[in-house]
Amino acid sequence: MYRLDPDTGKQKFFAKDGTKSVISAIISILIGMVVGTLIIIIVGVTKEGMSISSIWDGIRLVFLGIFSTGREAGELSFGFNPVNMGNMLFRATPLIMTGLSVAVAFRTGLFNIGAPGQYLMGTTATLYVALTVPSETIPAWLIWILAFVCGIIAGALWGCIPGILKAYLNINEVITCIMTNWIAANLVSWFFDVRENLKNYDEGGKVGYVRPTSHNNIETFDFGLDKLFPDSQVNGGIIIAIIIAVIMYIIMTKTTFGYQLKACGSNRHAAKYAGINDKLNIIYSMAIAGALSAAGASLYYLSGNTEFFWSTYQALPAEGFNGIPVALLASNNPIGVIFTGCFMSMLNISGLQLKTLTPYNEYITDIIIASIVYLSAFAMLIKMLIENRQKKKDEKVRAVKEGGDK
Amino acid sequence: MVFLIQQTMLYAIPLMIVALAGIFAERSGVINLALEGIMIIGAFIGALFVRIIQENMVFTQDQGQLLMVLAMVVSAIFGALFSLLLSFSAINLKADQTIGGTALNMLAPAIVLFMINLISQQNVLGMATGDASSWFMIKPSTFGLERDHDFGFIGNLLINKVYLSTYICIAIFVVLSIILYKTKFGLRLRSCGENPQAADSLGINVYKMRYAGVTISGALAGIGGFTYALTTANCASTGEVAGYGFLALAVMIFGNWTPLNVALGGILFGLFKCIAATYSSLDINGDGVYMLAELGISPYVYRLLPYLITLIVLAFTSKKSRVPKAEGIPYDKGQR
Amino acid sequence: MADYVIEMNHIRKEFPGIVANDDITLQLKKGEIHALLGENGAGKSTLMSVLFGLYQPEKGTIYKDGKEVKINNPNDATALGIGMVHQHFKLIEVFTVLDNIILGAETTKMGFLQKKEARKRVLELSEKYGLKVDIDAKVEDITVGMQQRVEILKMLYRDNEILIFDEPTAVLTPQEIDELMQTMRGFAREGKSILFITHKLNEIMAVSDRVTVLHKGRCIGTVNTKDVTKQELSTMMVGRPVQLEIEKTKAKPGEVILSVEGLTVPSKIHKNDAVKNVSFNVRRGEIVCIAGIDGNGQTELVQGLTGLEKATAGHIELCGKDISGVSIRKRSLAGMSHIPEDRHKHGLVLGYTLEQNLVLQNFREKRFQNHGFINFNAVRKYADKLIEEYDIRSGQGSVTVTRSMSGGNQQKAIIARELDRDEPLIVAVQPTRGLDVGAIEHIHGQLVAERDRNKGILLVSLELDEVLSLSDRILVMYEGEIVGELDPDNTDANELGLYMSGAKRDDREVE
Repeated sequence: MYRLDPDTGKQKFFAKDGTKSVISAIISILIGMVVGTLIIIIVGVTKEGMSISSIWDGIRLVFLGIFSTGREAGELSFGFNPVNMGNMLFRATPLIMTGLSVAVAFRTGLFNIGAPGQYLMGTTATLYVALTVPSETIPAWLIWILAFVCGIIAGALWGCIPGILKAYLNINEVITCIMTNWIAANLVSWFFDVRENLKNYDEGGKVGYVRPTSHNNIETFDFGLDKLFPDSQVNGGIIIAIIIAVIMYIIMTKTTFGYQLKACGSNRHAAKYAGINDKLNIIYSMAIAGALSAAGASLYYLSGNTEFFWSTYQALPAEGFNGIPVALLASNNPIGVIFTGCFMSMLNISGLQLKTLTPYNEYITDIIIASIVYLSAFAMLIKMLIENRQKKKDEKVRAVKEGGDK
Repeated sequence: MVFLIQQTMLYAIPLMIVALAGIFAERSGVINLALEGIMIIGAFIGALFVRIIQENMVFTQDQGQLLMVLAMVVSAIFGALFSLLLSFSAINLKADQTIGGTALNMLAPAIVLFMINLISQQNVLGMATGDASSWFMIKPSTFGLERDHDFGFIGNLLINKVYLSTYICIAIFVVLSIILYKTKFGLRLRSCGENPQAADSLGINVYKMRYAGVTISGALAGIGGFTYALTTANCASTGEVAGYGFLALAVMIFGNWTPLNVALGGILFGLFKCIAATYSSLDINGDGVYMLAELGISPYVYRLLPYLITLIVLAFTSKKSRVPKAEGIPYDKGQR
Repeated sequence: MADYVIEMNHIRKEFPGIVANDDITLQLKKGEIHALLGENGAGKSTLMSVLFGLYQPEKGTIYKDGKEVKINNPNDATALGIGMVHQHFKLIEVFTVLDNIILGAETTKMGFLQKKEARKRVLELSEKYGLKVDIDAKVEDITVGMQQRVEILKMLYRDNEILIFDEPTAVLTPQEIDELMQTMRGFAREGKSILFITHKLNEIMAVSDRVTVLHKGRCIGTVNTKDVTKQELSTMMVGRPVQLEIEKTKAKPGEVILSVEGLTVPSKIHKNDAVKNVSFNVRRGEIVCIAGIDGNGQTELVQGLTGLEKATAGHIELCGKDISGVSIRKRSLAGMSHIPEDRHKHGLVLGYTLEQNLVLQNFREKRFQNHGFINFNAVRKYADKLIEEYDIRSGQGSVTVTRSMSGGNQQKAIIARELDRDEPLIVAVQPTRGLDVGAIEHIHGQLVAERDRNKGILLVSLELDEVLSLSDRILVMYEGEIVGELDPDNTDANELGLYMSGAKRDDREVE
């Protein structure tokens, strides 16, 4: 793992674990993009009514969609687009949080596929508090905090369920997470189904949506970001998400608490042997993961300009599952998650551009994301390749040196 | 009563066949979390096949049964092909099987929705003409009888307003269960899920067996997906199967990885699904089950019960559950 | 040439980083029992895996009856009549004995299993060779001894003529070992050829015709057993003269430091208690050894003692403090070091670096943390000190990932961590398992030194030699009970064996 330079005794740049992770992530992304490009070409060639120019448009939008400024005289134009940028940051917020959730759980040896359920529970608690506590009597900022905290608690408690089952009965958390996801989906639909006062009837024709929190005058503070990215949905949520990511990084790498969590994740038996309370740590870990997912939901829906589709019992929120690629691409590094979260949301924006500006549709970006998850299986392979190349180089250097000595 | 039993079977059959898919993969040592994704592919391919055949007018409505069987075969093939992605990452690359499965679960709806939108410019891909019941359902007219012919209780139950796919699936289920327990192939497959090192030392090719297990699993999940779309979604594909693949996973765990228990679990969970889905229409049919509606229990309860029951069953049987010992662990020839 | 049924010429097998077999030649005569002797890691198992087709050698040829053969997989080996009883049994636990025997060599009709004929043949073989097995029982329910008989029947069922036994005696009592030797001699008389892998000299002297000795992947030579002495063999095996005895003075036991009364620990595998009402004590300045065959409750006894498992009854007192029922951490703080049985499962977090593992027990101490933040400098300094003192070797010093270290150095790291805590009681479970002679000698020396520093040591060992040479007092466990207390100076392997197999037990109450 740690290869030292024979001359300086320091780690070589390409031998660092971090470097290897970044390179393998970039390779995964590139391959994923190439898959997307290939699909665009194949579809463009085989489908009637598509021309070379629509293929070219599609490819450019997959890679540069974030800089798209629409069409001018029939041609795609590119440039700085504050709306796209702002929306990217806004949509990145929940992705960063669910990515953190999955990453922290991974670091402690747990696969948190339960992020969608925790996200839903967080959404429900947050929306309920934000929409029912009267803003006439209590200041809006206090309700905001209250709703945020309640969301986090709901997510943490929901995350505890697989944690407890894993800790005390050693039941695989993947299975319990899947079960709790669908239980959550039904509970949430049921909860809103019977609460007419929360449903959004203001706009005719809309069915199955909960009111935005702005209905109760609750909106996330903007921190001036609205000036930077006018007309976009961005707000201070992204800044809160980044702060949380940094805190998680410090907890995981610098504290004894993180040391214990990771010890339990890496080898539960050894942790127990060393007097670490393995059961409690597993529950902590899932609770933190749940809290993070739920925080993502809270930040997303407290923005005041989003509406929750409550009739969700047949489908789970994509934000939950997309935390998995976000975490995998970042090699489960909390700081890396900030960037990969933004990248994923950039892909989403590109998808929307693709839909509005070309005959293609937004699902191409989902294919790219799924390919990246699949390719994370190759990440190890890529890392090994880099390592082997480095080894061969070292050997050559050594051979030359030894030859010179003779 | 007939209505309730038939409806339950419609929901139970895909569950059973997909849970059996799970058994074949896991008994060979590979966790197949991708059942949901493979079902989505199966449903899409089946629906697409039917649509293309109809558009080209290869078959007439009278040959609906043949068309349906062919569609099942095609979905099985594509389900198996799609599952190769899982086999490759899990067996050859020794990647984490849970992540591989999750990737497939994300990939399937993305591909399907992408294709559907290209083909039909909307989020649904339905039949070109007619509907599932007019083309594929077995009715008196299928046998050249009068519309309102009465087959008697048993006859109504078994051959009136049912789908041939139900019986094909039951047959497949029985045959494969026998293969799993009574043949050399089955014995060897199961040994790979329990102790691949031992199997390897006896000259059994673990990789081949696991490929076989996952591929059979893929074919079954493909069939299950199409059957689901055919019988409960009017032979249309919408890029989702409403968590059916995960429910099948629950059935498999509930059934302790054995076909007989899985069949029972499938029927039980199918009943819950059926009640939840037909909740509002139960009283209209006057099958005596409207009592369930009068109980005033929310349909959401019936929907979440299977998952809850599975959790509870897991909690109580965790100590003695028969999880294949080597499942989820990549087999590496170099490490013994 | 055709005298030899098997000839392996100049075999070379490499693994990343090491050469496991280097130019090894082995010739097996028909009808002989040929021992393959070497330390752990000498390359015996690798060589046999090459013969059995599990590995492909980089260089070298294999001849069967004078004809060159290629053995690409176990199927080829079976076709050539080569069978193997692996050190870790290759059995499917949830299958029946019969299914295990036929697996891979099934008789079928149209793909369907024909178990009736198979059953008849297995019963015949079992009768003929006196290998008693319960044919319909599941493997997980039968004893280790019977599991080994199942493995032997697997070879016979395949009509194997060349039988490889990989460390077959490790799990058996001395009496069962005798039985196995009888069986092996019977096979040899019938004309079957036997390769017998071991590192135990007594067994070689007792049963083999010839011995091939391996050392660090190289072949030292092949000799006739009757022409050599044990001392000569051990010198060949280790590469230098070995002290067969451990140098130590007589123990001067002090006050009682650990007293256990009526300890009962439930079993994880079956319904009965694994440890039944066990009482004993350990005093300062003595090494108390728990002897017994694997699986007679030693593991559970230690787990009950250290808190890894919950005891259902009993009273444990350490340094005058009642520690029954308290947490692992509190027991540890009360004065207990623990060198665990399984270094990969309990001893180390393999994904952690060496320094992180060295503070696994004491990372909470003030010197290593400040309000919950780890003091990385202090950890590094402490780790470097231990690495120096205990001679722990690794690729990159304190930042080496433990997974990449050799087994011996991993064990050294654990021992360094546990001994440096300087607790008055040391619980050491099979501390030398899987290590080479040099490392074993070193660890034995350290344990004796700790004893002489007036500490109490509770040692659990499966190796009779270790038990007899290291301990000051022996407690024998059989089926969860302590059935005898022996003085190592007044007993021998034979008597120990009788206690271990349950054939003999002390009438008096064990204190």
